Amino acid sequence: MIKGRYEDEDLKWIPFLIGLVFLIPFALKGMTFSYKYYLYILNIMGIYIILTVGLDLLSGYTGLISLGHAAFMAIGAYSSAILVDQVGLPFILSLIVSPIIAGFFGFIIGFPALRVSGMYLGLTTMGFGFIIRRLIIAMREWTQGSGGLVVSAPEIFGFTIKGDWANYYLVWTLALLVIVAARRIVKSKIGRAFMAIRDSEQAAQASGINLAKYKMLSFFISGILAGLAGTLMAHTNHFISTDHFDSMLSIYFIIMVLVGGAGTIYGAVIGTVFIVLLDNIFVPKLESLLHVMISIKSGELESFVFGLIMFLSIIFQPTGLYGLWLKIRIYWKLFPFNPKKRFT
Amino acid sequence: MKRLFILLFGASLMTIGCDVHEGPPGVTNTEIIIGNVQDLSGPMKELGKLLPSGSNLYFDYVNQGGGVYGRKIRMLVEDGQYNPQKTLTAVKKLIEKDKVFCLYNVIGTSSVEAVRPLLEEAGIPLVAPATQSGTMSDMSRQGARYIFHTDTGYDRQASILTEYALGMEDNLKIGLIYQDDDYGENVLKGIGEAETKFSISVQKESFQRGASEFTGQVMNLIKGGCTHVIIAGIVKEPIIIMKTASRMGYFPQFLGISPTMDHRVALAAGAAGEGFISVNFAQLWNSNYDVPNLYRELCQKAGIPEKMMGMYHYYGFSTAMVLVEGLKRAGKMLTRNKLISGLESLKNWDGAGIQQITYNRNDHSGAEAVMLIQVNSGVQVPISGWLK
Repeated sequence: MIKGRYEDEDLKWIPFLIGLVFLIPFALKGMTFSYKYYLYILNIMGIYIILTVGLDLLSGYTGLISLGHAAFMAIGAYSSAILVDQVGLPFILSLIVSPIIAGFFGFIIGFPALRVSGMYLGLTTMGFGFIIRRLIIAMREWTQGSGGLVVSAPEIFGFTIKGDWANYYLVWTLALLVIVAARRIVKSKIGRAFMAIRDSEQAAQASGINLAKYKMLSFFISGILAGLAGTLMAHTNHFISTDHFDSMLSIYFIIMVLVGGAGTIYGAVIGTVFIVLLDNIFVPKLESLLHVMISIKSGELESFVFGLIMFLSIIFQPTGLYGLWLKIRIYWKLFPFNPKKRFT
Repeated sequence: MKRLFILLFGASLMTIGCDVHEGPPGVTNTEIIIGNVQDLSGPMKELGKLLPSGSNLYFDYVNQGGGVYGRKIRMLVEDGQYNPQKTLTAVKKLIEKDKVFCLYNVIGTSSVEAVRPLLEEAGIPLVAPATQSGTMSDMSRQGARYIFHTDTGYDRQASILTEYALGMEDNLKIGLIYQDDDYGENVLKGIGEAETKFSISVQKESFQRGASEFTGQVMNLIKGGCTHVIIAGIVKEPIIIMKTASRMGYFPQFLGISPTMDHRVALAAGAAGEGFISVNFAQLWNSNYDVPNLYRELCQKAGIPEKMMGMYHYYGFSTAMVLVEGLKRAGKMLTRNKLISGLESLKNWDGAGIQQITYNRNDHSGAEAVMLIQVNSGVQVPISGWLK
């Protein structure tokens, strides 16, 4: 019998995954002199995974669109930069406080979500992004306006985390914790409430689910995770400015979730891995290849490839890469009793 | 599974310490590889084509002459999309993957600010960042030892323009329309200094990068009674602002920070742009001096279309000359530290068709003066000498 979406997971591969994550830097160092570049890409990937997992909880599980997640990230980044470097809060405490500040803003944005939905909610969250940008510029005394803010390296229990190697372990430890926590959330009562709201608000309400509470909770959790990603971004990059968090970044995050498969935590992870690799490794390689063949200019291909992927994935693979993986897995499990039409 | 882990872990550990580098990265007996990050697909993509084209024009000229100590210069251009995060990734790639010898012309203030920690970590020089922000030559900032600025800062330009405007007539009121980003932030700093110095108050109106509608800002300047308006935009903005003002029957004296100096402003603004004064930090590309003459000659030989020629293309050309001079002074046994020493030996050097360049261990600002250019019957003409 085919198991449903909520089947109990096989957790045997989790230690293998943790081991793999631990070993990757060593393997990279062995394979290439450019390992620092790839580690940096992996760090960005880890930070984005933390955010997209949160975005998936909001958009994929609760059905609430957000086009302003870069703003939550900015709140986390600026809060941490100010708290650590100007107020003197230890980084380890800022790692808790800054995401909560971003979560609080998420909670506030949850209010309009009670009355508007769909495209209108998307526009509201996008507007929120513009407001946050203006606020950051206006609070010049703390944020240095548009000029950007220099941020110190993270320090945990007297140990300064500097360089891509050390950042990798900080980022990926938190990313793995976030993935596990998000899986726990979606399997709990909270997760079931989120999904009930997504599937039918009326039915959820009729079943006794408090819509206001769970919608705001979804925004709060998603805000916290975006804030955590922002905190890590600020302290691993050592410099932040309003340009780091433009509205295009929010759309980039949505693409990651959709391409991976909305409503599946692993989908958000796979989508992020795919898009970050595509953006930094595959598209540049394709560009240099095409540059030789048809003299295409660098930069022109990226938006074309992203547009094409969105277009193709929505038409041919609406369940995303994770959905595709599930199909393949079930197909082989049932092989040779696998009539093709059941899996198309 | 356990065995596999031990095997993988052991194999990985064995590889640690296998890096062996000989000589500086990006330098061979025949080649010097330099890295450039431009905006090829973002809001400044127009400049992203002009600047490297101008630089390559000079590098090709040097390469055809045998290169620098027999080494030809090859420039790799990455797309930073005028975004600090993308620029950081691009610079990381250039340093770690492409192993460039030095960085050159990286565009955008916040983008360059974002890569400061990398410059320091890798000990790699960045010559002629393509931003005129005064923060580039602030030696107290991280990685300042590695940045060699070639232009007068926006803050200094704003201050000089304000002083010049104050000398034009009595009882004037100055207004400022500025791009609300890192560029505008640096202009605001200079205006703030001028306000304190001359005990005046400047009316400030902001706009977002990429804006193409300025009616509100112009209306506010009319209401404020501004007689002189400083524009801190790029190319499109001064054209639209002056045309909007003209349509509204408002004719103040417009002045512009250096990015507005492009000759296309004079061409496109038409009658509305007549009398527009802008700041320039280099000799005019179409003037009759040695470097502009060489520039036009090489453009003609290379078949550069006329529409590409101008301030930004010339900027790429002249800053390439600064880099090549630094490479020459670094000597045959090229290292990054020798390039830094070579550049720091420049004293009142005027071989790049810009103003005299001076660097030393404590000062990497390069230039501190500007020349004012005015549109007169649709043609840009210098109206001052070098102002400091």
